[in-house]
Amino acid sequence: MALQVLDPTNETAPPLGQTAPRLASLAGKTVGFISNGKEGTKGFFAHLDRMLREEFGVADVVMRVKSNYSAPADRDIMDEIARWHAVVTGIGD
Amino acid sequence: MQLASKTYDVTDIHAVQELYHSNGWTDGLPIVPPTHDAVQACLEWAMMAPDQLLGIEPVRGVAITAEKLAINAVMAGCLPMHFPAVVTAFSAMLQPEFLLHGATASTGGCAVFVVLNGPVRRELGAAGTFNALGNSDRATAVIGRAIRLALINILEVRPGGIDRSTIGHPGKYSYCVAEDEEDTGWLPLHARRGLPPEVSAVTVMAAGAPRQIMNEWTTQPEEILETFAAEMRANMRHYSIWAGNYALIIPRQLREHLQAAGWSKTDVAAFIHRRARIRRGEWAEVGKAAVVRDRGDTEYAALESPDQLLVVAAGGPAGGFGAVIPPWLGHKSRAVTLPIGACVDCEPPWR
Repeated sequence: MALQVLDPTNETAPPLGQTAPRLASLAGKTVGFISNGKEGTKGFFAHLDRMLREEFGVADVVMRVKSNYSAPADRDIMDEIARWHAVVTGIGD
Repeated sequence: MQLASKTYDVTDIHAVQELYHSNGWTDGLPIVPPTHDAVQACLEWAMMAPDQLLGIEPVRGVAITAEKLAINAVMAGCLPMHFPAVVTAFSAMLQPEFLLHGATASTGGCAVFVVLNGPVRRELGAAGTFNALGNSDRATAVIGRAIRLALINILEVRPGGIDRSTIGHPGKYSYCVAEDEEDTGWLPLHARRGLPPEVSAVTVMAAGAPRQIMNEWTTQPEEILETFAAEMRANMRHYSIWAGNYALIIPRQLREHLQAAGWSKTDVAAFIHRRARIRRGEWAEVGKAAVVRDRGDTEYAALESPDQLLVVAAGGPAGGFGAVIPPWLGHKSRAVTLPIGACVDCEPPWR
């Protein structure tokens, strides 16, 4: 028997933000880290901090830690992002 | 009734299954074809327009409409009469304190534990006795499954997609129980959480798998509850030390001993609050010495306060088996209770 059935998915894409243009170089730039605060992030971000400064000439690395690792970044961190040239997040468990 | 969803013409029931499975729209089990008529019947039963908004998932900004929820409810096997409970459960999950995105995306792999209370249980034939946490009845099976299918399809909570669970647990297929309000003199869960006992209600909790306990060798309340508290301490040692909502499933045999001694749910919660505690140093006994640090003597309680404990009367009439249902992760997500089809503490419209 022929049937007509309905699509169960959301169909419309969620309103994602736009990706920022890629930087030509990291030299002299400020890079922010948004850590979820989990144990595994510490070594990773410490190593990345050294790499960015020593190998890529990054001028400054700013480390921020979310107050709840399962929730979006806090408002004050989101406000601070505008002062950074690049952000690294979503890393570590 | 005009529905907005895209339609697919398929030749037969087998083609329906292949269409939905191949698109990743199922939990791996066969689904009921969500036809226009079946979805419309759900919406009409709940008196909801198709585009009625239940809420917007705040992290990804996804709108949850009644139509999409009804489609997934039909797929799960819901009849129209089951749909209001699904709507209420999903509305509860959209409350900020539930932290829906975190709870459904986490590597921790929790499921949404749903407790039904009030007259709706009997209207739906939702049973809280034999096999209460298993395949006890149609209503709890399909309501719990509808929650999972809606997460998969509306919020893309698919394994490896938004769902990053490392192992998950079987409750992710369906994790719904009806409280056995008839076989207890205890106040039902929703009434303890502030709703009038005569309304129907749904409580949702981001929860790990049930941890079964057994104690058939005492009638003393303190001894019975010590077994539950010990299982909570085990969870704190082996899984997570952080305080949050725990649920206790207490079967009739054990309830009768507790009630004969005059213990109410309040007494149970007070006892558990006192006893379900460990020192951080105990982590060293279970292979987690690395994170004890200098806080070995610090005491951690499983509950921040007694009212964080969800005491649920459920289970078959015989057997001293109960369960501890632990929180996904401390109080990052909090249990939410909402009435079904009723407005409690609302301002009257004429005011």
